[in-house]
Amino acid sequence: MGSISLTIDGRTVEVEEGKTVLQAAREAGITIPTICDHKDLNPYGSCRMCVVEIDGVRGYPTSCTTPAVQGMQVTTTSERLTTLRNRTLELMFSGHPNSCLVCPHREACEKYRPKATKAARSTRCGFCANREECDLRTMALKGGSRDLYLPTLYASYNLERDDPFMDRDYNLCVLCGRCSRICEKIHGKPAISIINRGKWARIGTAFHKSHVHSGCTFCGACIDICPTGTLTDRFARWQGKPEAEVPSTCIICSEGCSVIAQSKGGQSMANIMTGFNPEASLCALGRFGYAQIVNSSQRLLHPLVREGEDHIPSDWEGAIQAAIEGLQVCVGATALVISATTTREDRFLYTQLAEHLQATLLILPAEAANDDPQIREMVGAVQQGKIRGLLTNGDFLSADLLRAANFSLVIDCLPSTTTSLASIVLPAAVLSETGGTFRTAVGTVKQMAASSRAPGDARPEWQILCDLGQALGSAAFDFSRIEAVTPLVSDDPAPAAIDGDPRQNVRELIPRFRGHLLADIVPALAAFGLPATEVAAVEAVTGAGFAILEKREIVPNMHFFKIRAPQVAKFAQPGQFVILMARETSERSPFTLVDWNGPEGWITVVIEEVGRSSRELASLKAGERIAHVSGPLGLPFPIEKKGTVLLGGGCYGIGAIFPLARALRQAGNRVICTIEASSAYLLFFEEEFRAVSDQLILATKDGSRGVWGGVQEVLAQVAQEETLDQFIAIGCTFMMRMVCEASRPLGIPTFVALNPIMVDGTGMCGACRVSVGDQTRFACIDGPIFDGHSVDWDELALRRSAYAREEVQALSQTVDLSALIYKPESDSCGCGRK
Amino acid sequence: MSFSTLQQQAQLEWQEFERPEQLRILIGSATCGRAAGSLEVMQAFAAELDRRKLTAATGIYEVGCLGMCYAEVLVEIRSLDGRRVLYQGVEPKHVPALVETHLLGGEPYLPLALAVMTAETGSELPAFNELPIIHPQVRIVLRNCGIIDPTRINHYLARGGYSGMAKALTLTPEQVIDEIKTSGLRGRGGAGFPTGVKWGFARNSVSDQKYVICNADEGDPGAFMDRSVLEGDPHAVLEGLLIAGFAIGASIGYVYCRAEYPLAIERLQGAIAQMHAHGFLGDNILGSGFGFAIKIKKGAGAFVCGEETSLMQSIEGKRGMPRSRPPFPAVSGLFGKPTNINNVETLAAVSAIMEKGAAWYAGYGTEKSRGTKTFALAGKITRTGLIEVPMGISLRTIIEDIGGGVLGGKPFKAVQTGGPSGGCIPAQFIDLPVDYERLAEVGSIMGSGGMIVIDEESCMVDMARYFLTFTENESCGKCVPCRMGTQHLLRILTDITEGRGTLEQLEIMRKIGDTMKSMSLCGLGQTAANPVLTTLKYYEDEYRAHIVDHKCPAGACRALIRFDINANKCTGCQACVRACPVEAISGVKKKPQRIDQDRCIRCGSCRQVCKFSAVQVS
Repeated sequence: MGSISLTIDGRTVEVEEGKTVLQAAREAGITIPTICDHKDLNPYGSCRMCVVEIDGVRGYPTSCTTPAVQGMQVTTTSERLTTLRNRTLELMFSGHPNSCLVCPHREACEKYRPKATKAARSTRCGFCANREECDLRTMALKGGSRDLYLPTLYASYNLERDDPFMDRDYNLCVLCGRCSRICEKIHGKPAISIINRGKWARIGTAFHKSHVHSGCTFCGACIDICPTGTLTDRFARWQGKPEAEVPSTCIICSEGCSVIAQSKGGQSMANIMTGFNPEASLCALGRFGYAQIVNSSQRLLHPLVREGEDHIPSDWEGAIQAAIEGLQVCVGATALVISATTTREDRFLYTQLAEHLQATLLILPAEAANDDPQIREMVGAVQQGKIRGLLTNGDFLSADLLRAANFSLVIDCLPSTTTSLASIVLPAAVLSETGGTFRTAVGTVKQMAASSRAPGDARPEWQILCDLGQALGSAAFDFSRIEAVTPLVSDDPAPAAIDGDPRQNVRELIPRFRGHLLADIVPALAAFGLPATEVAAVEAVTGAGFAILEKREIVPNMHFFKIRAPQVAKFAQPGQFVILMARETSERSPFTLVDWNGPEGWITVVIEEVGRSSRELASLKAGERIAHVSGPLGLPFPIEKKGTVLLGGGCYGIGAIFPLARALRQAGNRVICTIEASSAYLLFFEEEFRAVSDQLILATKDGSRGVWGGVQEVLAQVAQEETLDQFIAIGCTFMMRMVCEASRPLGIPTFVALNPIMVDGTGMCGACRVSVGDQTRFACIDGPIFDGHSVDWDELALRRSAYAREEVQALSQTVDLSALIYKPESDSCGCGRK
Repeated sequence: MSFSTLQQQAQLEWQEFERPEQLRILIGSATCGRAAGSLEVMQAFAAELDRRKLTAATGIYEVGCLGMCYAEVLVEIRSLDGRRVLYQGVEPKHVPALVETHLLGGEPYLPLALAVMTAETGSELPAFNELPIIHPQVRIVLRNCGIIDPTRINHYLARGGYSGMAKALTLTPEQVIDEIKTSGLRGRGGAGFPTGVKWGFARNSVSDQKYVICNADEGDPGAFMDRSVLEGDPHAVLEGLLIAGFAIGASIGYVYCRAEYPLAIERLQGAIAQMHAHGFLGDNILGSGFGFAIKIKKGAGAFVCGEETSLMQSIEGKRGMPRSRPPFPAVSGLFGKPTNINNVETLAAVSAIMEKGAAWYAGYGTEKSRGTKTFALAGKITRTGLIEVPMGISLRTIIEDIGGGVLGGKPFKAVQTGGPSGGCIPAQFIDLPVDYERLAEVGSIMGSGGMIVIDEESCMVDMARYFLTFTENESCGKCVPCRMGTQHLLRILTDITEGRGTLEQLEIMRKIGDTMKSMSLCGLGQTAANPVLTTLKYYEDEYRAHIVDHKCPAGACRALIRFDINANKCTGCQACVRACPVEAISGVKKKPQRIDQDRCIRCGSCRQVCKFSAVQVS
């Protein structure tokens, strides 16, 4: 191909023939804004942001779809183009919650809330997991003045969680089509495309099938190419932007796919494809399962040495000593049963060890179970006492075999029957926690990168083996780095290829990792038909419990519950809360009482769907039962006649201030209520508040309704007009902190309802400890309402996020399994007509 | 069999059909006729003839549509004396009288008689061609509709059909393209691009395979020109498609027809089979060496699939969604091959032009807009129908002469052309000559031919809202300006019609409309704001009345109006009481009635039934 020259913004640009105007501009260092364009995708032209003016061409062609032509005169910036782009951007953002751009508190918010809050649907910036990486936001913050002031048209789609690994929130989608285009590019026949029409047009599967049934292979390319927070990796999404991305190799099966390992703070986040092309595609395990195995909460953390019936945690020195004592007794009568899911270096060292111990060495394929033929052949030898010592690095040995042996040593990363019966258990660092090399089924040797830290005291196997070898007195184990072992490994055979191709079909994923059932480690994998160890199902609450009389989602993520709880209703007072448990085994979660009726025996609460427990509650329907309702808890707020009282509520706090407002008004106060939300569509209880307040002021962070801003802006406004005798604010920690800072200089007595982590709610556990003034108080029995000006907000924020990682891990294990059953929707064929 | 032999055979069949001393009943049974009950009428005739033992002697034919929607069901009866009379509004109950009086008696059945089909001196009935709805028309595309039996290729052949094809096959493709260029024919799908020039592009693309496509995805609400032609004269379209294929060098033609047109598809399938039987499809047609095949592809009824790039995606089995041009279809179209797309009306004109010559066709119309154009005339007009007029005819002729003026003699307010992509032309332009340029000058478009007449009782804001409801629903969703713009326009229009509008919103609508026009990917989005922009241009005061005064001047927006009964005019007949669906009207018989405003749902039923104009809107 020859080259052509064209003029862009007065500059002569030489490009290869066949390039688009956008590519030509980029080569010349000229930036044109775009969202739908991606270097690995064909031109599409849907976002319309990259329009330019070309002499002799009518209108405003998109530079991404227009081929560069010899002699073309292109203008990329003009007043008209800026106007059109800004308006188009505004139109785009009107279909995407956009308070992250227009909220007056944006900068303070990012300072105090560096991480996004977990939530079901992203209705506002604080909930968006993609904030750090949002291409849309980056583009918008660069340019763009508002001209149209359009309200957000929130589509209110449910968060889709009907598969093991992805959260799909189409409320954030701007239909750039990157996901469906990459899916088509990688898989030929895409699992997703635009479905429906007009305002209901969205990305989806054919006939509304779940992704598990749609032909999706879970390669994750759609997630990695999505410019917004619409498509996310359920596990990685709340961890923010990865700090490191290094090329590595997935060794879960013998395919040994190349990956880019993403990590943050030494924690593995995900493996992604090395490029957006079919050759780089990954299977669900390599893409998503990997990080969940590595980060499993079940990981073995410390060496364990058996003392009679018990395993006693030990340091490495003691454990190694105990191990060699056991091994030395069994020299010449030991079998090493080793999974091929290890590095070449590990296997080399296992071979050396086997030689030193004159032991039998069995290398098991990646997908092997305890019925592997090699193990079956060994059973006789163990029973006859010819093999007395067993060393294994997975869950391959039956209880009978272990009991028959005199000594057993397990080097593994996860607990199993084998570890529970072993003489000694040594915790291994695995996968991304160890370097080394791997030979794939086709014989290629690939490099692995140590990209994450092992949990607890776990060490890489090569290191454990060197420690054992050295302690056994062999000179063949004198290595301090895995790289030193690598040159010694040669002629190692290529492992057998696995059956099927899990990159093409999720039904062909291998079921085991080092003999452990993968679905036991990553429960959601059961969705793909992977076998799991059966556990007794949790009984649904039937006869007992508290009946839900009414339940509705009033605005996205906010669920209104009316529950029959006569004893709570009888004694409830404003400011008090209840602790709910959806099921017998659920977490205890506190919720402020919104309303109650003693004679009728009911209470109401507003539950914001945030994490696992609130989601469990939110999934209950009217007519079902909540296992436990404890309350009323906490101190009632002293209702006195003060004069003029301002109450401010945000999010769940809108519900929480309601009973206070009503009681304060009944006590003769002039009550001004203000409720804030990110956008007009998130405001609720407007009518209810009008009935209990003298004045109601609405505020939205995007200015779509009422005052542009939040409670703090309203406070400033109201305080100028009249004297406030009392101010109560309930909402997120950030909001309460901000309003306290605003009210402090005004000298208004300010009260806030604190929301620390709470367990029992009766003053026993201390989880809800907060510092108010110079005192340590328990929010459950001393609060929850405190003097806002005395609260140590930094400590509260820190304590609230203490279990952030566990909370995220809990989320990744919940799947809407009911949604996995394919049910064609009777009302639509997918053509878009209802 | 040679073409002339085929023509001779066809002539014999046609002459037999036209022979005067035969009993014939022709029933207009296109979809429109069927909807009006033509099949029931046909059954009634069959039963009546059977009863009178006349079945063997009488031929009953289903013919296409004459375009006189207001007069359906239309039946032409030919008696033995050669008298041919067209009857309107025929119902099964009229059948015995028609048979008795005309078929057997030879006398026109006057209560239903509309016109005589042959020139007949001394008749008390007007001649068909002299009917005011027919007289100003020039029927080229509709030349055979309602005249021939569309299921008989010989009827088409006998009336000159396929002679255009036969002539084209003796020429070079370039000569055919020149002929079409000379005729001045422009694409009738709406954009008006010169057809011959378009063919030239596709002709010049070099490829092992090319395609021609007939766009029969007629989707504008209220437009039914293409359906009528396909149902009434399918061969005219298929012949045009074949000629187009020959001209550009395509061996395969597709007809992309919406699945909601089952009768059109049935007629097309039948016609294609007949073309095969006559050797007009397949290899070496008429010994010319040219081979051609036609496939029918049914569309699932998405408006955007009328856009050519979407249409091709749909044929390929993908989601119907437009893409940017270039590359143009003439370079890379269906399956990546050079492709030419014309709409039904264009192709039906092509076959006529090749038959009668470019000069003949160019003799009609204006300088830049040659030939004729079909329109679906609807709305508040006395004679609704499908018409074909020479370009340059004035709106006044169409509305007043052909259409018979505004329904009920009310004042003419505007005419909407071009469907959801078009605009409103206010009454001040009633003498506007209708062609591509002049319509564009006043902010509307020719479009595919929808023409909706609007009177003083139609609210322009409400009408804009109606069209936006359609485009908002039919936007494919791909590009931002169209997907979001239509939603916001509809939201604001709904606000205004329900009394929640603000004056700032007018400016915002203008800005959104301007953005959609400039920034949308395809024609759907680029034109979707037109109904808003033109009504804002000519009827801003109506918008303001909704916003500022909370009044709908036309009395159409339910949230802003109330119905009251004028006690001076009310006779107490209580017709309104019986018509009210919510029992909101009460009163003593023969005394003025009262409307309970709390109950009233403002449906307007009372106003419609009141014979004394006592129900007033305010």
